[in-house]
Amino acid sequence: MSLKQRAAKELEIQKKLVGLPPRQIYPSTAFLAIITPILSILVALLIAALILFVSGRDAIFILSEIFRTSFIQNFAETVVKAIPLILAALGVALAFRARLWNIGAEGQFYGGVLASTGLALSFPNLPALVIIPLMVAGGLLGGALWGLLPGLLRAKLEVNEIISSLMLNYVALLLTDYLIFGPWKDPEGRNFPVTATFSDESRLPTLVEGTRIHFGLVFAIVAAGLVWLLVGRTKWGFELKVMGDNLKAARYAGINISRNIIIAFLLSGALAGLAGMSEVTGVAGRLQQNISPGYGYTAIIIAWLARLNPWAIIMVAILFGGLVSSGFTMQRVGVSSGLVTLLQGILLFCVLGGESLYRRLLYQAALRRSNLTKES
Amino acid sequence: MKNSRNQSKFGLVAGVLLALSVLLMACGDSTATTASTAAAGTTAAASATTAAAGATTAAGATTAAGTTAATATTAAAAGATTAAATGEKFKVAFVYVGPIGDGGWTFAHEQARKKLVETLPNVEATYIESVDENPTTSEAVITELAQKGNKMIFTTSFGYMDPTINVAKKFPNVYFEHATGYKTAANVAVYQVRQYQARYLAGIVAGKMTKSNIIGYVAAFPIPEVIGGINAFTLGARSVNPAAKVKVVWTNTWYDPGLEKTAAKSLLNAGADILGQHQDTPSILQAAQEVGKYAFGNDSIMESYAPKAHLASPYWDWSPYYIERVKAAMNGTWKTGDYFGGLKEGVVDLSPLNAVVPDDVKKLVDEKKAAIKAGTLDVYAGPYKDQSGATKVAAGATLSDKDITSINYFVEGVDGTIPK
Amino acid sequence: MAGEIDVVQTLATTVAAGTPVLYATLGEILTERSGVLNLGLEGMMLVGGMAGFAATAVTGNVFIGVLVSLAAGAALALIHAFFACSIGVNQVVSGLSLTLVGTGIAAYFGRSLVGQPAADSFQTIKIPVLSDLPVVGPILFSQNLFVYFSFLLVPALYFFIYRTRPGLNLRAVGENPATADAQGISVVGTRYLYTMLGGALVGMGGASISLGSNPNWQENITAGRGWIAVGLVIFALWNPWRALVGAYLFGGLEALQFSLQVAGVPISSYFLRMLPYLLTIAALVFTQWRLKDQAGRASSAAPSGLGLFYLRRERG
Repeated sequence: MSLKQRAAKELEIQKKLVGLPPRQIYPSTAFLAIITPILSILVALLIAALILFVSGRDAIFILSEIFRTSFIQNFAETVVKAIPLILAALGVALAFRARLWNIGAEGQFYGGVLASTGLALSFPNLPALVIIPLMVAGGLLGGALWGLLPGLLRAKLEVNEIISSLMLNYVALLLTDYLIFGPWKDPEGRNFPVTATFSDESRLPTLVEGTRIHFGLVFAIVAAGLVWLLVGRTKWGFELKVMGDNLKAARYAGINISRNIIIAFLLSGALAGLAGMSEVTGVAGRLQQNISPGYGYTAIIIAWLARLNPWAIIMVAILFGGLVSSGFTMQRVGVSSGLVTLLQGILLFCVLGGESLYRRLLYQAALRRSNLTKES
Repeated sequence: MKNSRNQSKFGLVAGVLLALSVLLMACGDSTATTASTAAAGTTAAASATTAAAGATTAAGATTAAGTTAATATTAAAAGATTAAATGEKFKVAFVYVGPIGDGGWTFAHEQARKKLVETLPNVEATYIESVDENPTTSEAVITELAQKGNKMIFTTSFGYMDPTINVAKKFPNVYFEHATGYKTAANVAVYQVRQYQARYLAGIVAGKMTKSNIIGYVAAFPIPEVIGGINAFTLGARSVNPAAKVKVVWTNTWYDPGLEKTAAKSLLNAGADILGQHQDTPSILQAAQEVGKYAFGNDSIMESYAPKAHLASPYWDWSPYYIERVKAAMNGTWKTGDYFGGLKEGVVDLSPLNAVVPDDVKKLVDEKKAAIKAGTLDVYAGPYKDQSGATKVAAGATLSDKDITSINYFVEGVDGTIPK
Repeated sequence: MAGEIDVVQTLATTVAAGTPVLYATLGEILTERSGVLNLGLEGMMLVGGMAGFAATAVTGNVFIGVLVSLAAGAALALIHAFFACSIGVNQVVSGLSLTLVGTGIAAYFGRSLVGQPAADSFQTIKIPVLSDLPVVGPILFSQNLFVYFSFLLVPALYFFIYRTRPGLNLRAVGENPATADAQGISVVGTRYLYTMLGGALVGMGGASISLGSNPNWQENITAGRGWIAVGLVIFALWNPWRALVGAYLFGGLEALQFSLQVAGVPISSYFLRMLPYLLTIAALVFTQWRLKDQAGRASSAAPSGLGLFYLRRERG
């Protein structure tokens, strides 16, 4: 208890220093919090439409086609894309709470993929009730293992975690190549780089009949709930927040920083690993090259745009799932992929810009209030 | 508060500037498109493109024609009359693994797609490039193409195998064609070309041209297509020069110009004076040209990148197959199958040889080419041994197509190991 | 079967392979010294490489190509500067978005350049006398102009950062923007300037591929080198000399894996390919380890204001 009090006191001082009066500004800005992302997206769409129009394309047709395809007709596919994104982004967000830049979700995703694939290939005869929990555990563990090294190095030696986690992504990819070109190659696969197809028992069950939405969605929602509880409702979550706000204050308050860094990286990696496990057993059913089209990197952007809020991550991930498919829809109606990438970048900048303006408005509102209180 | 107001004013100005520059870029873009179309065809074609695009816009989204560049080009090629009265075209779609600007594998498929729409004006052929082999993405893309009225879909990379089969189950009335795979279904055919035939011919040139008897080979991934290519290249080289050795290095990437060049240099440093390759970039040729050595291209004709070093390129012309299959689909005579075309069918070839190649070698290559076409020469006919010296194929025997597409050992004369 | 490795030639390859990464690393050092973290190197390299190649194709002059690549890199960096320094967007995320934008621009506008041979490019120039020296000759003095220019750039940047007034101001802005501001240095202006200058160098790194080592244009010609450079900046502790070491270490490992393969060393090529990445981590660990006993660790070698948005505190 005394720890919490001391940290809270530290925070209080900290907030006074920055001029942020605690709490009372938030209710008045709830409206702002919702309206900014919506406005940003609208502005981005407007710019996209303008560019398409200027380059001689039917912008309205293209945009409505995207909406029809990704969010109505093939909404299920959008959700399928969102599942690994949600899980990986939750992991990334957890680490970001403590201002730990885990750029390694991609590698941790592969950690989970490799562990669960190894289990599926080793035990093709186990019933689903045994093998699936085993693979879930394996996926979590594989991802955590891949997250352990950057966490450990950061905690013990202050090695920059951006780089160590990023480098491990490449290592994971090469390890995957080694396995599927070597020991794990499907004996029936005519020497192509794929593993054998998993047994039906070791496939994650489909959740919605007639679509590809699989049980991973349940993992994603449960994980979102757990992260929400962990971050918002436990002492450990509070410690993470303090570490993120001010490392010195956290140290002063007696928080065991290096232990928390390691745990944060383990959990962060485990979630990305679970994403990998659900992707390889829920969708693919075998391991092949390029099992992730960069989920780990997209997850970083999602976590940030969702303001690290687990529930918002689900929404943003679904939007991103749609954004990814919309790229291909645009190509289908004749927009070149280079322009698609460019438009996606512009969209991001708009949303980010809106997001930051919102933060500044908050700050200025706070400043104004603190000035007012000073004057009175 | 003054400061902050100034700052936001600055932000506003900068924002407007940014928007303007983006707009300018877009303008530049539209002129660029027009310019490239004009370069491809005639000015009339360019104006027709605009007209066609306009017409489609006017017609709105009622027809499935869409506003693709491909439609516009086709319309332009068929003449202005078709712009309004095209009606229903036969819709075909291509799924590419890389960007059409990769200069190799996808580039070759894109050339064939262009030929297809030129030859069959009633076909509308769209493509989607850089589609990840990740099953979530690729299956969604193929599904969307099938939903949106494409009658035939070509998936041009091995990694699309399972997704293609899955989607084909859901769309029994759509024809699917999967390149380099081995799973077929009633509405899924697979196709591949006998790359090894052209590589054998390249090997002959290499065997004749090498002075050091060390021939380098930069290889991407140890899959049967690449391994078989190295074997055929080596058999070709040693058929004219039994002392020649082929040194192999693996890059484990299809596409990394810098890395491939480093790999090529390492072979040149080890004494290789000719380089063969199975990569998607011309860096190997450039590395050879820098030091006055020779090299081969791959997948498409790469002569322009390094004309001095370029001996020849084994290349694939997928268009005869595409045209034949689309025609069959339009006539209703399409059947599933397992296509494996070669020199004879005109889908594989070795580009014209560099002028430095002596005439007798040119003649020899022509003879061998004719013999392969006539069926009197089988590249994989025995006898030959593997690296350990054990006889793999006895005299009078040869490899079956299944052996060829699943080969997993190097023949004698290859200096290198297959990573296991 | 095992042959020997030609060390001199391997080292010459090392220098050539390391140079594009070196330019990108130097550019990012300048940018980060001012307190701006720009992760969009991959995008800027691609745009620089594409624009330089296009300009050379149009004008036929490689030097104009290099100038255009500088300008293109700077222009793209301006976007980041605007979002990072004026709006205050999170710099990590802004950099990631910039990568997307840059990749898109390069792919889109570079499309018609694919398959074109380079109109002109930087060839290997053997420096008279020096190139005849044993060992150093072939390694250092039989390269192209990009390599020679980088030999000059590294000491020049070092001198600039540590020994000149503007260099001092640059470091002040990166270390402690508030103090610099109080001293009358324009924090935002300085950051804009060095983000763009850094971007220009990164763009030139792209041109050193498309006009130097691989004279042609293909999409994604950099194949991830921008990301390697991000790592090298930290390995270099924001010091140009150490950047040189890091870039050559990267190039050396790239060259070594093939030399080992050629020599018949029986290590799976997948594991050889992991070496550059694992050694980057090892080098970071080593650096931190050595600094452990000293007063501060590498984290204190990083500009303290790195990645943080500086908003001027209003007075009154």
